[in-house]
Amino acid sequence: MFEEPYRWMEAVSTRHNYVQEKLKMGQPVLAVPYNEGLLIFGFAPQPGKIYEIYDRIALGGVGHPADVERLRMNLLDMAHLEGFNRSAEDVTSTRLLQFGIAPALKQNFEEIQRAPYIVRLLLVELNMQGKPNFFRMNYDGHWETFKNGTAIAGDEKVMDWLQREIQKQPFATYSLDQALQEASKLWNESRKLDSDNDDDEKENDVPETLQEAFDQWYLEGAVLAEKSSSKAIYRPLSEDEINRLKSSTI
Amino acid sequence: MTENIEDTKAGGDFFELLDRTGYNLQDFLDKLPVNGKSTVPQGTTVLAFHYEDGIIVAGDRRIMAGSNMMFERCEKIIPIDHCSLMAVAGVPAIAFEISRILSQYFEYYRRTQVRPMSLEGKIRTFSKLLKENLTASTSGLTRVSPIFATYDIESGKPSIYYYDMLGAEFQVLSFTATGAGAGHIRDVLERENQWGPKPLAQRCEKDAAIIAMKLLHVAAQLDNEEKKSLADVQIYPILASVTENGYKFWSEDQLTRLEAMSREGN
Repeated sequence: MFEEPYRWMEAVSTRHNYVQEKLKMGQPVLAVPYNEGLLIFGFAPQPGKIYEIYDRIALGGVGHPADVERLRMNLLDMAHLEGFNRSAEDVTSTRLLQFGIAPALKQNFEEIQRAPYIVRLLLVELNMQGKPNFFRMNYDGHWETFKNGTAIAGDEKVMDWLQREIQKQPFATYSLDQALQEASKLWNESRKLDSDNDDDEKENDVPETLQEAFDQWYLEGAVLAEKSSSKAIYRPLSEDEINRLKSSTI
Repeated sequence: MTENIEDTKAGGDFFELLDRTGYNLQDFLDKLPVNGKSTVPQGTTVLAFHYEDGIIVAGDRRIMAGSNMMFERCEKIIPIDHCSLMAVAGVPAIAFEISRILSQYFEYYRRTQVRPMSLEGKIRTFSKLLKENLTASTSGLTRVSPIFATYDIESGKPSIYYYDMLGAEFQVLSFTATGAGAGHIRDVLERENQWGPKPLAQRCEKDAAIIAMKLLHVAAQLDNEEKKSLADVQIYPILASVTENGYKFWSEDQLTRLEAMSREGN
């Protein structure tokens, strides 16, 4: 295969198709700023979408749960070793992605003999100056950074649509409740985009509306809020916040 | 930063992670000279007791080497996680290293396992670290006698644990103190607890804080290794509390007011 570059390229292209097909059913994770920090959330049939990585860094994942878990552990190890050997301020999402996960993921993706990681990651950080940073990492090691929020999803079309819509709204001026409501509306509208294309979802009882999602699935969400009294500023959404969202959107 | 994603293991054991990267506290301690004399800087007095909302933890800020004062702004009360504090008398170098490892350990466990470590787990982890210090500790060079104050969210109770130099843990139901001035402080605390207006565990936050300030004055007055606190240059003791809302340190402004109240006899 390696004597014929065309065959290697074909193998990589097949690999892309394979991973994208496996990722297709992945439910979106959205991350947006609000007036006191940033919010990351998503609906899922089982818990395991949003995690704390370090004092000011959180992770969202789409894809195979075991792959998300392995990369999560990897990020945790890197972050805590860096924090121990140097300091908490030296642990930044840019370093974790750019010098840690991205090269390893790219190498894994290009090793044709090995199974690829079926995963998309969303890494968010509220830096020491209180400025939010949003990063999106693809299964092939490609990563991008955004200033005003981003989203990941299994379907690239849904992901791109969410990205465009997030940029249109001034989320950074919203309160947490407002940011949750607006982001949930975007999630709801993205369902229509998704269900237009795939009848399999109806067979698999995938919720098509926000109400169904609240009834059937878990809403996982967290904030990185500057006003936190502790060094680690990650906080899961409270039940009150989720109930307010539920009553305002249904 | 990482060479192979496949090397990652689950489990939440930060000691094992440090071992994999080549860090080993025991190796460092084994290289220390054993001479039986302690001329390295040592911390002096720290105390902790229960009050109505949680635990008060206080300590002076002196670092002494023999009768010489080496440093007077030492932070002897160290946050471990959002509801745990460690107060240290003894060799600060080792104490700070232990606290650094512990704080990363507890947070690493909580994040990897997506739940906080149990109270028993925290106590045993602390004990394990002190046991690793054992050989060097018995030489006198690296003695650390810490107090661990924590609020267990699961049971809704504050707890104080005192550790001896060999790593054995003892739960403290009312008060404890450790360091050079500890003997004097314990006498006063016993009197306050038994014959004061209320038992210590029923005192309000302000009263508990004032008692802590007064106790450190007592230790400073009576202990040969300490001198009077330098209120005129505003180097106050360090004071913190642990409640169900987590830990909190008193600010300089608050300490200034407490100092004034403690001297007025309020």
